[in-house]
Amino acid sequence: MTKTQSLWNHGVKTGAIGGVSVLVISLIGMVQSFGKRFIIADVLPMGVTIALIISILAAYLAAKKTLISEKSIQFTNAVISGFVTSGFLAVFVIIGRSVNLRAVFVEASPMLYNILTGGFEGPGGIFFLLAIGLFCGVFSGILILMNDLPRKLTVYSVATIFMMGLLQELILPILNSWDLSVTNYLAGLFYTLNGLTPIGAVLSVVTFCILYLLWYANQAAVKTKYTNLPKATQKKTKYLGLAVLAIILIFLPQFLGLFLSEVLTIVGLYVLLGLGLNIVVGYAGLLDLGYVAFFAIGSYVVALLTSPQIFSFGFNFWQALPIAVICGILAGVILGIPVLKMRGDYLAIATLGFGEIIRILVLSDFLKPWLGGAQGIGSIPNPNFMGFQMVRPQHIYYLILAGCILVVFISLRLKNSRLGRAWMAMREDEDVAQAMGINLVATKLLAFATGAGFSALSGAIFASKIGSVYPHSFNVFISINVVCIVIIGGIGSLPGIVIGSAVLMGLPELLREFADYRMFVYGVALVIMMLLRPEGLLPEVRHKRELHDETETGTETAA
Amino acid sequence: MTLLSIQEMTKRFGGLVALNALNINVKEKSIHSIIGPNGAGKTTFFNCLTGFYRPEEGEVLFNGNSIVGLSPDRIVHKGIARTYQNIRLFPNLTALENVMVGYHVHLKSSFLGPILGLKSTKMEEERARQIAMDLLKYVKMEGKEDTLAKNFPYGEQRRLEMARALASQPKLLLLDEPTAGMNPRETQDMMDFIQHMRGEIGITIVLIEHQMRVVMNISDIVTVFDYGKMIAEGLPEEIKNNKTVIEAYLGSGDAADSH
Repeated sequence: MTKTQSLWNHGVKTGAIGGVSVLVISLIGMVQSFGKRFIIADVLPMGVTIALIISILAAYLAAKKTLISEKSIQFTNAVISGFVTSGFLAVFVIIGRSVNLRAVFVEASPMLYNILTGGFEGPGGIFFLLAIGLFCGVFSGILILMNDLPRKLTVYSVATIFMMGLLQELILPILNSWDLSVTNYLAGLFYTLNGLTPIGAVLSVVTFCILYLLWYANQAAVKTKYTNLPKATQKKTKYLGLAVLAIILIFLPQFLGLFLSEVLTIVGLYVLLGLGLNIVVGYAGLLDLGYVAFFAIGSYVVALLTSPQIFSFGFNFWQALPIAVICGILAGVILGIPVLKMRGDYLAIATLGFGEIIRILVLSDFLKPWLGGAQGIGSIPNPNFMGFQMVRPQHIYYLILAGCILVVFISLRLKNSRLGRAWMAMREDEDVAQAMGINLVATKLLAFATGAGFSALSGAIFASKIGSVYPHSFNVFISINVVCIVIIGGIGSLPGIVIGSAVLMGLPELLREFADYRMFVYGVALVIMMLLRPEGLLPEVRHKRELHDETETGTETAA
Repeated sequence: MTLLSIQEMTKRFGGLVALNALNINVKEKSIHSIIGPNGAGKTTFFNCLTGFYRPEEGEVLFNGNSIVGLSPDRIVHKGIARTYQNIRLFPNLTALENVMVGYHVHLKSSFLGPILGLKSTKMEEERARQIAMDLLKYVKMEGKEDTLAKNFPYGEQRRLEMARALASQPKLLLLDEPTAGMNPRETQDMMDFIQHMRGEIGITIVLIEHQMRVVMNISDIVTVFDYGKMIAEGLPEEIKNNKTVIEAYLGSGDAADSH
């Protein structure tokens, strides 16, 4: 008897977790504020989509975690989970409609209940809610019953619709910018002003499925063909890929409008910061939470040297840039010296303090005559490239792109060098690294200095892009953002950092409603990543092996 | 000729005297074993030699020069390398990288060399790689250079750690219980390997060991510690029959024979 009970345990438990999660995002107002944005126009608001995805995911996990891998039991568990999830919400709606919860939960408004019940009043709404929950459960159950290929197709199709809707503000301006009859037609066919058209949704799924099936059928053939190619040709293919990537990067701003280019520059600045922090955290294993300090120093040095407001030194951007980077490097060394003996958590706290010290110093009245205090420093001239004023974000983009390429190059070169190995050895075991003859003082300071230099470079470009610097631009959240980028993108992985920046910095710019929930979403994302994919979105090959190497260990021991 | 000369070395932790006025001379190209009960101060002795602890009193002369008070990385430069009782590899670096880190002291490039892709840096890297590959071959681990260190079975981790220590091309190698946790076969291999190292590379070896069979078979000279003091020193045969040692360390005479 107890055995059968425990069989359904997972369904109830996971369903409850799903229910609580949906309840939380409802009560903090996410469902409502994302309700104004549509994935499919007038049919599926984004807030509801997120709630649905959570319910489906919970049901799927419930089925997946069922101890006995008998399909019928897994299916039932999924249905139970879906039902429990919606049960939570149903109870919430019933309570909310009879008692006023708004005194405690501001967002628990009739509007929320309307969204949750699909607009039906009274018991009808509750039934609707439960039916939707049941639907989510059954949907997951069917997913479990499916074979691998149809399951993948279904999941990816749902993801395609979600991404197409989510990235509307990215895709639509690109289509519009061409202003050809074809692209205009496509834009009208796929998108309304707010969300996909139903036809657009169907078309995207169909297109995706065809492409995926083609890839699926030919995947093996293509791979073997590639590995059978001679080494030189493989190398050529790689260079060709890089060339294509370069061309795309060079012409990218021409397709994006003003707004998207602006977003791109923000992403780029964070890529620079992320690459710098990657040296400190990813290679050398020194957790630096005050990374914003060097960003601020780079910005202020450029501001002081180029702006006529305080000193009027009259430097131009290109003269100020190297000085800013050198100041950043010096600051990195100066921070590094007192924290040389610190490890792990203590280092994180000390650097966190350093970041705040810089911000508070800049803000202070004492230094106001030199640094501008809370008013900051304005009228920083735009960079001038051979007589050409870099005013628009599209122009700054190239500056940032050049910076990123330089930093990527340096990172790659250092990684496979004596210094890079010393950093990694230090990350693995500081004592043993020292016993291998590695000078810890020099190696640590070089890591801090390199990271700080990259950060200052990013700060310098930031200052000339914005045209003015204020102390409040350099708060601790920038450090947190960069740490999140490095961790979620994949520690030690350069492509991971680019993807991490695009997801964590680019998406919030595209979805303005997101701003209020930014830190909440980061927190949830970090927890989920640590549980499901601790190596990051696009991990370094080595790091991936570190965390998923059970099979490999098996064969090694056997051999 | 004496390679390492320790004179009146004393190390205290608060009131505890961990090492008490030690006088030890290690001859060049000898295999010198340190034995003693748990807590006798053997590993502390190694930590004092490699610079992780600083002895309060006494002098350590290596090749005629004092190395007391030097930092661990400086001491490696002088030519002393070690392994650890509980293997301490860089677990998430590959076998090759582990050994190349060991060769660190013989490389010069720092920051700009690799960035600018200088020819000298490239040649240096190639040399380091070649030496590391040779060492992996020497410890019978060729073809496994790209495996992460933590994925090796125990015996290979021991050998890899030894390769890493050898990479710094030391004159003196300190081995902290090299056969700990090994079965008789692996132990025999390790003993052969240690003797081979001494014979072929001409390296001087000081080792801490618990297995009497190993100690008696491969040592040229044996030093016995108890409570931080040296209680006996001599040829393996002499130590075997030394009354003080048998009482302090091996217990009764019967037990000694069974080891």
